[in-house]
Amino acid sequence: MVNDSGQLYTMEGIAAGLVMLLTAYLILSTTSIYTPGDTHIPDMQLEQLGSDVLAMMDTPDTDGTKSDLEIFVNDDNSTGFEDMFLDYCNMMASDTDTLHMSANVTYRDKDDQIKEHLLVEPDETWTGRESAVRVTRWVQLDKQTNQMRPYGSRAQAVLVEVLLWRA
Amino acid sequence: MACMNEDGQWIVLMGLLVAVGLFFLALIINQSALVGQTTAEGVLEFPKNDIRDLREAIFDYVDGGCQEAVQKDIIAISLERKNAVVSFSVGQRVSISGQQAYPVEIHYNNGVTEYDETVYHY
Repeated sequence: MVNDSGQLYTMEGIAAGLVMLLTAYLILSTTSIYTPGDTHIPDMQLEQLGSDVLAMMDTPDTDGTKSDLEIFVNDDNSTGFEDMFLDYCNMMASDTDTLHMSANVTYRDKDDQIKEHLLVEPDETWTGRESAVRVTRWVQLDKQTNQMRPYGSRAQAVLVEVLLWRA
Repeated sequence: MACMNEDGQWIVLMGLLVAVGLFFLALIINQSALVGQTTAEGVLEFPKNDIRDLREAIFDYVDGGCQEAVQKDIIAISLERKNAVVSFSVGQRVSISGQQAYPVEIHYNNGVTEYDETVYHY
């Protein structure tokens, strides 16, 4: 007959061993802290939203006409650009979202310098500490005879950059 | 020692099994948070919109009559603001299925993603 009087001690030994292993694992794993609530996922969604809004604004109503984006940039129309952009990206099924934006236009001037022109100033929610994302879109401007826009009058490609944040 | 009560041993064993099972389930939940993070990082890193937008800008450049200044704009601003080395060229018109098309060669490299394409633009 097998003597089984020591079984409980064996169990206890295994349990203690597991507890020690677990403790060692937990202590070692604390050296690398992953924060699941990192901003990557909302950033990704915000970036996609911003790109889509710019794509919508860059789509002309009919073939052969200019898009709203191109007209706003060409006329340096700050409020028109801001209103349409915020209107599109704060659209939700029920309530409105609370997104804010600023925009500038990067262009190459006649001295071959890359310059920036502030198209839409950031509003009062901008503190510099927002987790903002940057979305961009190329716009091609036609040659212009009367010198109105700040980028120069030749036909040129400019980059519209929008900072987008939730506040 | 000899008269120790050993009646509850199976309960102890089952308790241990359940505890180990729970531990592994917790590990799996712990990993699931990383999945979302790495996916989002991958999406943010990959310049999908940049490349699409660049293609459209180049097509606009072709439609606008391939002005050299516009080409210089795109190359210089891409390097300055998007950290991307861009080069593109437009060849002579060729006939494709009865339609005249410009072969456009596009090269894009931002250090992480490299993209090369030859596309026929009507």
